[in-house]
Amino acid sequence: MKCFKYTDLALEKLENILVIIILTLMITMAFLQVILRNFFSNSIMWGDIFLRHLVLWIGFLGASLATREGKHINIDVLSRLLSPRFKRISGIIVNLFSSVVCFFLMRASIGFIIMEKESGTTLLSGIPTWTAQIIIAIGFGIMMFRFFVRALDLVAGDEATSQEDAK
Amino acid sequence: MTIVIIGLLLVLLALFGAPLFVILGTIALLSFHSLDIDTAAVIVELYRIANAPTLLAIPLFTFAGYLMAESRTPKRLVNLSNALFGWMPGGLAIVALMTCAFFTAFTGASGVTIVALGGLLYPVLRKEGYPEKFSLGLLTSSGSLGLLFPPSLPIILYGFVANISIDKLFLAGIVPGTLLVVLLSLFSVRKGISAGIPRTTFKWRNAIKALRETAWELPLPFIIIGGIYTGVFTATEAAAVTAFYVLIIEVFVYRDLKLFSDVPKIMRESMLLVGGILVILGTAMGLTNYLIDAQIPMRILNAMQGFVSSKVLFLIMLNIFLLIVGCLMDIFSAIIVVVPLIAPIAAQFGIDPIHLGIIFLTNLEIGYSTPPVGLNLFISSFRFEKPVVKLYTAALPFLAILIVALLIITYVPELSLWLVNIVGGQ
Repeated sequence: MKCFKYTDLALEKLENILVIIILTLMITMAFLQVILRNFFSNSIMWGDIFLRHLVLWIGFLGASLATREGKHINIDVLSRLLSPRFKRISGIIVNLFSSVVCFFLMRASIGFIIMEKESGTTLLSGIPTWTAQIIIAIGFGIMMFRFFVRALDLVAGDEATSQEDAK
Repeated sequence: MTIVIIGLLLVLLALFGAPLFVILGTIALLSFHSLDIDTAAVIVELYRIANAPTLLAIPLFTFAGYLMAESRTPKRLVNLSNALFGWMPGGLAIVALMTCAFFTAFTGASGVTIVALGGLLYPVLRKEGYPEKFSLGLLTSSGSLGLLFPPSLPIILYGFVANISIDKLFLAGIVPGTLLVVLLSLFSVRKGISAGIPRTTFKWRNAIKALRETAWELPLPFIIIGGIYTGVFTATEAAAVTAFYVLIIEVFVYRDLKLFSDVPKIMRESMLLVGGILVILGTAMGLTNYLIDAQIPMRILNAMQGFVSSKVLFLIMLNIFLLIVGCLMDIFSAIIVVVPLIAPIAAQFGIDPIHLGIIFLTNLEIGYSTPPVGLNLFISSFRFEKPVVKLYTAALPFLAILIVALLIITYVPELSLWLVNIVGGQ
């Protein structure tokens, strides 16, 4: 349990740094492209492809961070009506389910990336496409892990409160 | 039979708070699996996120909006509109409407408006003598006001999903958006008079001072609208300029935010929302493709044709359906999931795709503050520490006005298409 927490924190630090670097790069580069296009009728040729992949990266990093903080977009109408105990049970089920689905999405991503690697496509001058796509598999992998940790957290919390009840 | 059971289970999981992307991902995986197609195809579709130039606008505008929310921009805007409109009856309420609308346009109706501006405006409204119920209702329904103005995120997302020009949608939203603000302002004027709120006098000195304070922020809407209108840049380029510009003014001109402590934090916060939207968009891509392949929209259309014979009847049903969707789902997922189903059907009834976009967004905007589960009601309840039920009754008169505006927007397409045609005709 402790080592899960530690991994989670370490991952978060890394993700934070990556988000900041990528977003800074994105803002600077997108602005530069507008200036080049409008004032010099020129632009960095690989710039647009690069920027679009930055969107993919920041999307998955953001989504994985959102998982950590339970900030994913959801409908969540019913759990408001539940008592704390049932809320926790529904939370465990929902998080376990999400973890399983993320596993299958990760597996599908790995399949996709292997396909791309075998076809040998390249993005910019010589960079293989699959290296940019790998974030999809990593992202779903981290989300799988975090949903699972959250479910475990809730199970542990459940025991703690029922012990309190017993007292 | 199994399909029905799986469907019901998924609905149940969604209602108990499973992230929407998980639900969409499950459906995509299962539907490809049932056709004996390798599930990697789901990711092939998802990867289309990296092939869409317009999506770059989403992180850039979101970041700019969050920066403004964290800075003293809300305060400066309130000062400015107070100096300009404070003398009118209901002046302060109008101030609230204007600043909320401006702000939502930049932050994309993610609840940021109520959190950032509500706390600022609510105590002032109460101090001036506006009734509690009116103030709560005003701020709750203003939380999504301004969604129709550029550069709002929902418009960009709609343009992307429905595959229509974002630049045109930006223009189309201006008149209907103004209509909503004007109608609510008229109601505020009436309230200001009936509640006997004392009026302040207009002072040139205050107005000039407030204008000078906002000198760097005010040009923004004009840069965006002007830039797109004159064809200098596209929506995506406008996003690049906005993000860069806002960062520079908040950090180096106003010095509201510190580059090395505040900005990284805001970057992270804003990207949580971006990630949440993009991952839903990505998992929905496969699903949408499947729905179109299976000709689901056409089947719904065929089923409808028996009893929905006219365009007017279709529009009424559309409004009711979208209001329900709007109060159940947040606007981003509603656009991603519902638009691909509705757009082909509406086209069959001869509804202009741009007009449909505006109808759609107005409906969802209203859905935000529709009881029992409109998102704004919960955000307000949390922000102002009032029971949700109190907000239900507070929001009702505002809802009635917004619905009148919705009907006008729906049945007078010229309202949405007028500006687009003028610019297109040039």
